[in-house]
Amino acid sequence: MALTGISSLGQSDPKGGSHTRTPLQRFQLPVKFKPIGLIPFFGFVGLFLVWPAVSLFRLAIQPTKNSDISAMREAITGDYLDSFVYTIKLSLLTALLGVLLGSLLAASVLRIERPRWFRNFMTSFAGVAANLGGIPLAFAFIAALGTQGLITKMIDYFGVNLSDAGFRISNFAGITIVYLYFQIPLMFLIMVPAFNGLRASWSEAAASLGAAPWQYWRYVGLPLLTPALLGGFLLLFSNAFSAYATAYALSSGGARLVPVQIRFFLQGNTITGKDNLGYALAAWMIIIMLITMTGYLFVRRRAEKWQQ
Amino acid sequence: MKFMGKIWPRLYIAIAIVFFVAPLLSMARFAFQRIPVISLGKDNLFKRWTIDGLLTTLRDPEFLHSLSVSLKVAFFTVLVLLFLMVPTTLWVHLSAPRWRGVVETVTILPYVVPPIALVVGVSGTYRSIAPWFLASNYSLVPFYAILAMPFTFRSLDVGIKALDLRTLVDAAKSLGASSGRVMWNVLLPNLRTSLINAAFLTITVVLGEFTIASLLLKRTLPMYMAQAQGSEPQGALGLGLLILVLTTILFTLVSIIRKKDSKSINVKNINVGMVP
Repeated sequence: MALTGISSLGQSDPKGGSHTRTPLQRFQLPVKFKPIGLIPFFGFVGLFLVWPAVSLFRLAIQPTKNSDISAMREAITGDYLDSFVYTIKLSLLTALLGVLLGSLLAASVLRIERPRWFRNFMTSFAGVAANLGGIPLAFAFIAALGTQGLITKMIDYFGVNLSDAGFRISNFAGITIVYLYFQIPLMFLIMVPAFNGLRASWSEAAASLGAAPWQYWRYVGLPLLTPALLGGFLLLFSNAFSAYATAYALSSGGARLVPVQIRFFLQGNTITGKDNLGYALAAWMIIIMLITMTGYLFVRRRAEKWQQ
Repeated sequence: MKFMGKIWPRLYIAIAIVFFVAPLLSMARFAFQRIPVISLGKDNLFKRWTIDGLLTTLRDPEFLHSLSVSLKVAFFTVLVLLFLMVPTTLWVHLSAPRWRGVVETVTILPYVVPPIALVVGVSGTYRSIAPWFLASNYSLVPFYAILAMPFTFRSLDVGIKALDLRTLVDAAKSLGASSGRVMWNVLLPNLRTSLINAAFLTITVVLGEFTIASLLLKRTLPMYMAQAQGSEPQGALGLGLLILVLTTILFTLVSIIRKKDSKSINVKNINVGMVP
């Protein structure tokens, strides 16, 4: 590990600077060798993330045996296009509802001041719920809103039959409700620090200048919260888009979501000679995620710039 | 936030709590009560509650095997991740600050490649080149380390930023400490909160991960649960609930440790958990 000497104590000089060299600084590496310590990191990411992801694209654009159109093209036609549209719709809807309901929850919880533990309790719970996905979450909702679910029966008792109304835990409305279970807490965790960043003096300043509360929110509060709201939306979208286990367990593998479709190809479906299609579907997923996360990074960089 | 009045926030929070608690209560009822929903009424609501289903599952040798696989994978994932990320993050801050942006962007890459796409790519590459690698349960370790990378880097980065890293290192060096001693006796104790935070989050990720394990046909805990749903549903639900309770305890522990530490250094920002 390269270490700088005492002369730079307290103030780091990333450019190497022109200050005099102390004996200790002889151990410092020249600037062009600085990235050398990052080789294990880049090697690891390259081997276990970048290489598989790039190979995916290479395999996806290989010519297909029994088809004259490429797998990449076929993956966005017919039924496959439908499942992409279905997945994107689901992700957009749960992200939008998550942003709305999660922000509202954060605003509401921050207004409760009296039991002091309450805010911390809600934050801890949100931390658990936001990370609760997969099999246990699916189990909980099957127990509550499945055809034999407890809530289903309670609602039935009051005269509303969910099944007759066309509701299934594995259809669009069902998966939306289940996804909100982790989307709302995730947005809550994003918005609590954002709301805390709004200083009381700003709303007081606005009020003293004669602004009505709605004017404060319209011209001060909302513009300041925009990066958090926008970034949160993109994060929630990608969160729903790449989710797999919950939908799989809810529908016993029958959901029309793209991730569930990919599984079908990975399990040795070589008879049709269409294994490239699995790679192509995954490649399209990465393309969509790349666009979303680039947007997210852009929003975050802008927000960091404003904060300085 | 004065526009909302006094009652609306409370009402909204109450509705939210019902939404978040009802599925868990339903799960508990199915796991521990042996009465079909159809015949459930006011008179037998508190009858025939039992934890036999869960106990049967906990004694199942297959469960014990899946638990040991998951715990071993979790242990090695934490080990690999910390061995990789602690030196990398320290190096970025001490020697290559210009590379911080690049490293940070790379640590977000796992969000770009969804687990399902990653596992498809992995089986497309490693299956033909190194089949022995995918045959081992430990092949999950590097991929789980990749999944845990974003919040691990963030946790360490925030922890290091809160320290006066260069002063610490220079002070220790000037007193004659070797690089290893600086790392072990100065830096790691100061980064304790970040390390524990990252390790616990990684453990919860590994214990809950289903996508990669199921497509690589590894018999981990979530895989066992998914299969037990058909054969021993009560046990599976009870197990799901048990894991949830344990996760909550783990999270609470993290926040207690964090609170203790934040009295001496400002580490509030680590609270973001998995939010990148």
